[in-house]
Amino acid sequence: MESKTFPATVESLTHIREYLTELSAAAGLDKKQIYNLCLAVDEVVTNIFLYGYGESGQKGVVDVYAEMDENQIKITVEDDSPPYDPTQQKLPDEEDLKKPLEDRPIGGLGLFLTISNVDEFKYEYVNRRNRNIFIVKRSS
Amino acid sequence: MGLQVKSEVTQGIAKITLIGEVDTSTAGMFKDEVDKVALQSPKEIVFFMKDLNFMSSAGLRVIVFAKQKLGAEVPIYIVNPQEGIVDTLQKTGLHHSVFIVDAYPVKG
Repeated sequence: MESKTFPATVESLTHIREYLTELSAAAGLDKKQIYNLCLAVDEVVTNIFLYGYGESGQKGVVDVYAEMDENQIKITVEDDSPPYDPTQQKLPDEEDLKKPLEDRPIGGLGLFLTISNVDEFKYEYVNRRNRNIFIVKRSS
Repeated sequence: MGLQVKSEVTQGIAKITLIGEVDTSTAGMFKDEVDKVALQSPKEIVFFMKDLNFMSSAGLRVIVFAKQKLGAEVPIYIVNPQEGIVDTLQKTGLHHSVFIVDAYPVKG
């Protein structure tokens, strides 16, 4: 398994995308899959930086792990901020997504993009760490 | 990679060109430019995105903000966005409220 550690600041976002692009290109994902994976991870990591570490006042890191086999690439992001399960958050529904921009809330789309851009997204809290897991199937 | 943003308002048309990546670390630059052109009450706003390689929900928020700041009657054009960005606009339904075009001024 490959891994890399990034400081929990928004300046890391571009470096995390570069790392994911390198890994997923080597794993044979196509351009669209790579973009979607980068976007999915970016949204979750942004929340970790701004709200996980940000609101708790903690300084810290995120660890990004990559595992690949013939079927899929699995990216796991771990952090030490307070427990937060993104899968429990309410997502915009079809009606929300049809609303004109002038009637929309400014935010709320990030997690929706995460879930819709990977084949599987999971959350675990293990050994006092948040663990966000992103899976992209090679054949999808 | 970062972001470069430039803007101009000519004859009531605000044009903002984005080069690089919009994420949470750079979206503030994008929003500042929208704020700047909004001072001139443009009748249209055009985002040139050919060389924008990535846009997260932080960028979508700026587009929603632009619509709300300028008003529903001010059309938003997004010119030549890359495939991943078009996909994001479609998944989130923003494509219903903006014009995604290949060139500006719109031909035909």
